[in-house]
Amino acid sequence: MLSIIMLRLQRLKVEYYVFLVMTLMSLIFTFIFGATQNQDYTPTILVVDEDNSDYSKKVFSELQDNNAFKYSISEYDDAVKKVQDDKAAAALVINKGLQENIENNQKPVLGIIKTKENIDTMTLENIISSITSKMVGNIRIASITADFINQEKNIDHNKIFNEAYNKAVETWKYKKPIEISSTRLVEGNGTGYDNLTHSIIGFALFFSMYTIVFAIGEILNEKKYNTWNRILVSPISKNAILGGNLIVSFLVGFVQVGILFIAGKYLFGLNLGSNLLGVIIVLIAFVFTITSMGLFLSGLVKTHSQLAALTPVILTSTSMLGGCMWPLDIVENKIILALSNITPQKWAIEGIESIAMYGKGINGVIIPTLVLLGMGLLFFSTGVKLVKSE
Amino acid sequence: MALLEVNNLKKYFKEVKAVDGISFKVERGEVFGLLGPNGAGKSTTISMISTLFKPNEGDIKYKNVSIIDNPSAIQQKLGVVPQEIALYPTLSGYENLKFWGHAYGLRGKELSNRIEEVSEIIGIKDRLKDKIEKYSGGMKRRINIGAALLHNPEILIMDEPTVGIDPQSRNHILDTVLELNKKGMTIIYTSHYMEEVEYLCTRVSIMDKGNIIASGTQEELLEIVKGKKKINLRFDKISDNLIDRINSIDYIENVDVHDDEIILTTQNGEDIFKDLIAKSSETENSILSIDIKKPNLEAVFLHLTGRALRD
Repeated sequence: MLSIIMLRLQRLKVEYYVFLVMTLMSLIFTFIFGATQNQDYTPTILVVDEDNSDYSKKVFSELQDNNAFKYSISEYDDAVKKVQDDKAAAALVINKGLQENIENNQKPVLGIIKTKENIDTMTLENIISSITSKMVGNIRIASITADFINQEKNIDHNKIFNEAYNKAVETWKYKKPIEISSTRLVEGNGTGYDNLTHSIIGFALFFSMYTIVFAIGEILNEKKYNTWNRILVSPISKNAILGGNLIVSFLVGFVQVGILFIAGKYLFGLNLGSNLLGVIIVLIAFVFTITSMGLFLSGLVKTHSQLAALTPVILTSTSMLGGCMWPLDIVENKIILALSNITPQKWAIEGIESIAMYGKGINGVIIPTLVLLGMGLLFFSTGVKLVKSE
Repeated sequence: MALLEVNNLKKYFKEVKAVDGISFKVERGEVFGLLGPNGAGKSTTISMISTLFKPNEGDIKYKNVSIIDNPSAIQQKLGVVPQEIALYPTLSGYENLKFWGHAYGLRGKELSNRIEEVSEIIGIKDRLKDKIEKYSGGMKRRINIGAALLHNPEILIMDEPTVGIDPQSRNHILDTVLELNKKGMTIIYTSHYMEEVEYLCTRVSIMDKGNIIASGTQEELLEIVKGKKKINLRFDKISDNLIDRINSIDYIENVDVHDDEIILTTQNGEDIFKDLIAKSSETENSILSIDIKKPNLEAVFLHLTGRALRD
């Protein structure tokens, strides 16, 4: 096994630039994604008011109370052009007849101009639906109140209506029907969820997986160079070949994750919490699992090119499922959440974040570590069988 | 007791009988040749002797100990030169030799000394620091051989070691083989180049389609075609009609066509020119050259299989 380890280190010394480029690229991408995740970006929504009525003005006024977007009034043609040019996330068209529809107890119709369906347009639809429902409700309340008072006393109907409407709006503003009070149940003294910390951890794990899988995939290059068979007829056993390759791939992966985390600390202010040992334990388990996964993938394919084609598909999809790109807390789909449990990334992130964000101790990493080791052993035993059977 | 003994060895790949029950012995200190065309089963046989494949049937004994269940009995004693270049292209010649020496248990000063000695034997000392990917084909072949010599093996197996190289490197390799053999190394040499086997080997087994069709010393093998002549004919063009007519000459034993050449064996040489000229003029083919050769191992193969060795 020593011969194989020395050989791999020798080759690493000669081909060091591959490791260097991979690490550098990981750092750059982690920086790009981490920086964009941390920006206070607010998309712009253009509002085309074709009705130009009191009610359309009320809609615009209600929209401006919502901080999710920046709103500005625009002409229809200008709005279409800006949405097409990606200068605005979408445009809201208040069609002519809004006031008439509301007054006649008909459903008001609002249009949205968008080039694609995304999280912004979906959020906008929800906001509009909520605002219009609330507004129509307020108008009905004000109208009924004004009608009632008007029947009793001969007072100006419009004045009563406006006062009643404003009171209804005020009530929604300051006396919310439900008050939510929350208490966080954490055992440690963490700072709580932080998007930048999550991005750095997620992307560091995501990019390091490529290095690890391609490092163990060197076994396939042994076959390409015909050295695999030559080693097999030497006194070095198959187990020693696999063992040597696994050890070096593990070390390479661990060093790279280490570099990315250290760079995260000094370049982006990543705070890994006070329990560094716990983080290291999770990282060791994670790198072991991904090394074994790389062995498994190397056993599935015949050549290094096939591995290069398969790896991005597997790693990107499992990283998306496992929460490397975004926190799993925002995912509501139960199938996706269930699937995330079979990805190593989910458990590694959960373990590291339990320390870095929520200040947990070693107890917080026991289950993630055990799950990772279980997955690693499964990949390892299957991978060894596949590689040996060739 | 033979150094290596192969008994009724069989290896099947699904339906293909790559090796179909062959037996032979290799004596200490000899250069034993396995001669046969591509696909005859030579490399599969070598792979089984070098413990890469397990046979479906049969046994291989090294010093009377079976290596099928106990491969480690022979691995340290064996040097294997594979048919393909099996080296790390991004490492230098020195780094490659260092790794292969280390793999066979050499360390420290002993390893450095052996790298020095072997690089001299293979004549590549000046280029040891260069990366393999910068070597010529012949130099790669030489270092491919060198990697198998570092641990000074008792048996050296060479599987078609001269494929695709220049004549100068080829001659160097052949002389190296003879030199190693003179120093006492037992060598198993496979090739489909008849002249290499004739030049190097004391005993030869001729393989075809997974079987050994003849075995013995070169003299014993040539006895098979004693009195026969091997004639190489070149025509301006070769037609099926011409081949049929040559085949119809009753004393011609084998006719084999290879590119623009017809190779035949015959017992009778007296009327051959007259008959061949007659047959060619019947078909309006012109003879460009007639080359009568002393019977050699290729003639033996042609006689036994009806095909030239190059097919």
